[in-house]
Amino acid sequence: MYRVDFFDAKIIEGTTTSIVLDNGNIKEVSENYTKGAGVRALSGGSWGYTSVDGDFDLNKAIGAASELAVGMDERSHKEKVEMLDISKPVARNMPRIKVDPRDISLEEKVGLLKEIGSRAKIEGISSTSAVYSESSYKVLYTDSTGIEGEYELIRTGFAISAVASREGMYQAGRESRFGVNGYEIFEKHNAFELAESAAKTALQLLDAKPAKGGTMPVILDPELAGVFAHEAVGHASEADLVLEGSSILENRIGQQIASPLVDIIDDPTLHEYGFFPFDDEGTQSERTVLIKDGVFNSYLHSRETAAKLGGQAGHCRAQGHAKPIVRMSNTYIDNGTSRFEEMLEEIKNGVYLIGSRGGQVNTGEGVFQFNAEKGYLIENGQLTTLVRDVSLSGKTLEILNNVRMVGNDLTLNSGRCGKGGQLVPVTDGSPHLMVSEALVGGA
Amino acid sequence: MMYELARRGLKAAMNAGADEAEILIIEDHKTSVDIRKDEIEGAKENISQGLGIRAIVNGAVGFASTNIMSHIEDAARSAVRSARVRERDPDWKSLPYASEYPKVSGIMDPELEHMGLDACILQALNMVEGAKEVHGVIVTSGSFSRSAGKRVIMNTNGVEVEECSTGISGFADVITTSGDVSTAYDFAISRSNNIDFTAIGRNAAELARSSQHGISIEPHRTDVILHPFAFADLLGSAFIPSIDADNVQKGRSNLKGRLGEQIATSNLSITDDGLLDGGIETGRSDDEGVPSQRTKVIESGVFRSYLYDTYTAGKDNVKSTGNASRGSYFSTPSVGPRNFIIDHPGTDVIADTDRGIYVNTVIGAHTANSISGDFSVEARNAFTIRDGQIGQPVRSLMISGNIFEMLGRINGAGTDIRKVGGVVTPSIRVPDMSVVG
Repeated sequence: MYRVDFFDAKIIEGTTTSIVLDNGNIKEVSENYTKGAGVRALSGGSWGYTSVDGDFDLNKAIGAASELAVGMDERSHKEKVEMLDISKPVARNMPRIKVDPRDISLEEKVGLLKEIGSRAKIEGISSTSAVYSESSYKVLYTDSTGIEGEYELIRTGFAISAVASREGMYQAGRESRFGVNGYEIFEKHNAFELAESAAKTALQLLDAKPAKGGTMPVILDPELAGVFAHEAVGHASEADLVLEGSSILENRIGQQIASPLVDIIDDPTLHEYGFFPFDDEGTQSERTVLIKDGVFNSYLHSRETAAKLGGQAGHCRAQGHAKPIVRMSNTYIDNGTSRFEEMLEEIKNGVYLIGSRGGQVNTGEGVFQFNAEKGYLIENGQLTTLVRDVSLSGKTLEILNNVRMVGNDLTLNSGRCGKGGQLVPVTDGSPHLMVSEALVGGA
Repeated sequence: MMYELARRGLKAAMNAGADEAEILIIEDHKTSVDIRKDEIEGAKENISQGLGIRAIVNGAVGFASTNIMSHIEDAARSAVRSARVRERDPDWKSLPYASEYPKVSGIMDPELEHMGLDACILQALNMVEGAKEVHGVIVTSGSFSRSAGKRVIMNTNGVEVEECSTGISGFADVITTSGDVSTAYDFAISRSNNIDFTAIGRNAAELARSSQHGISIEPHRTDVILHPFAFADLLGSAFIPSIDADNVQKGRSNLKGRLGEQIATSNLSITDDGLLDGGIETGRSDDEGVPSQRTKVIESGVFRSYLYDTYTAGKDNVKSTGNASRGSYFSTPSVGPRNFIIDHPGTDVIADTDRGIYVNTVIGAHTANSISGDFSVEARNAFTIRDGQIGQPVRSLMISGNIFEMLGRINGAGTDIRKVGGVVTPSIRVPDMSVVG
């Protein structure tokens, strides 16, 4: 064997089932069964990593990763990487699954999804789609310091979209709910109502007016504010980005970076889509406060970044058996005390931005751009005209400082976050936020 | 070996009651070297394999996949089980039939197949060295990768096609370390060992440097020149979904019923080409074994064809255009572009522009409305154009518009043709676009 300073392995095995419904017809029923391992080895300051699929020989994979690490370190020697020592994780606080989705027949799932799809097919809707997916995975972690742990996790969820069209114009409405639940996710969320709501949004948007851009006061709904918390603040808090010099939050710990009304938290222990009992390098999961009363409190760390910058590990995740990197889990702006009506009164004139169609952020420069699903003009404290194709952009720190009111109606939304070519389940959320000045983009 | 395995899978599916079956087997070996803050962070070897099986029972399609080759029979039975829970799909015709395959070239480079770790490290370091040629810029993250893979598609209608291919790519994200904070990136991808990695680092670094101290501009309408990166991004999110026959058939396309219509300036032609020499999306067949071809999508501004896979072609009673695409062995085929080639007479387009904005990249293109074609994106590394020359950098700029209106108004293109993944395009000039600073 090669002599290395550290090695670890994540072995994952499990099944995914998905059903895709398109315009009322089943488009796809698929089952996937996978097994694989991702192995890391560290020699001096160099990482070697090997992934293997199917029936593999773990010792051989450790050997291959070690060979890479040693080879790299010989060819490009650099500062030694230290790994934070951790204690053995415990798979505690696991979500209780009421109905194992594997006990429900494929026929029943197909039937339910068809019913959901049909609820979105209301008058004026030209097409609909609905997706159901479930996965059950067994994860096993082991490293060269003697850390070991394993757990099994079941995730289920569904998504619905409806498209309305009129005279060559098309608008879409979408709803989705994913979580660390069993089949009881359909008790927790009323999928029929959500399907109708997606359809209504699409229809409404047909009559929405294109928005006019400019700088103005805005109210962000919990979904869009959650996307801001995740994309603009969460990513900039990831210590790997800080270390590579691509975060505006470098050297900001202890500084007031936001309005004192703002608290932002990342909590993998919540039984939401981003839950995990320990992360993909064996660290027990723990709630991390990123911003407290507007003061930047902590980065998100892996064992490597925590050893280097000081801090707690526990936010290093991988998609399947890819190489783990620093990630978020369930990220949210905590509740304040304001009611939505008070915000309307306070803002007088501006825009209320609702929902998200995604966006991007440059964490190094601290600029971002998010497209809202829709918005309302606010005139004299009243919601008036519905607008579409409206976006929010600007500088992360300016928006954080411009927060004037934080609502008391925190809501979380599930999704998947992409980084380094890997997708992992996350949630983000917030109560309503009132921001005194932001750049709104229109059509 | 792969053929033998595929035959076993097909047999298992037929024994379980399938009327037709198809197997896709993929093997891939990838080596990558990652850069973090100007240093090599480590190396990765991904040895991946997997198989996907489609089984058709009474006109209903089921699918299963696994990466455990010894589980092929289980996967075949699972695909049949999936098919049985569906009702007959009246639009299902059949899997593709055996046919002749064209020869393609430039997608397999033995140098890449056998590239050793030393050569991989050297190329990654070349990107860092390239960036160092510019003062005050570091590579925050970057990656080099090379891969060699093999794909077999076999079905019970006689299709048997095997293909080996290689790939190489590199990207560098850079940031300025002195003065005003500014970032930029550059990347390149190829099928053969012909990428200038030093240039990737240098280009990104020069762009970040020249983007410092950006000015603010007032909202106005002006000529916008989109670099290939920016134009390819907008096309991919706002236009390509509309020529996907699946979207058209489901009423999710602005181009429904518009074949033969003038939808773009007569100077613009677009070809979807599965045969392009050395193309990123080049291959003898598509991902369900239909021979690759060239499809005129827009010919002198006139809209000529949608893109089809076998299923959507069956629905419209036309032939597949060879556009079945699968992200992986665990995905079923759907319609996707091959090499998407934009053709417009080229000139020194910046020199021909009195006033305007040059946009290198955009962020947020994926938020475009893929049906209406409306987009509103943040322009990155944008510059003013004054009297035919690049002027000052512009900080924080939103550009918005509609891709279909844009296609009708394009009035210039550069000679700087780039392969941006599968999209092959020069810089494109669009007059009278809305920009908000």
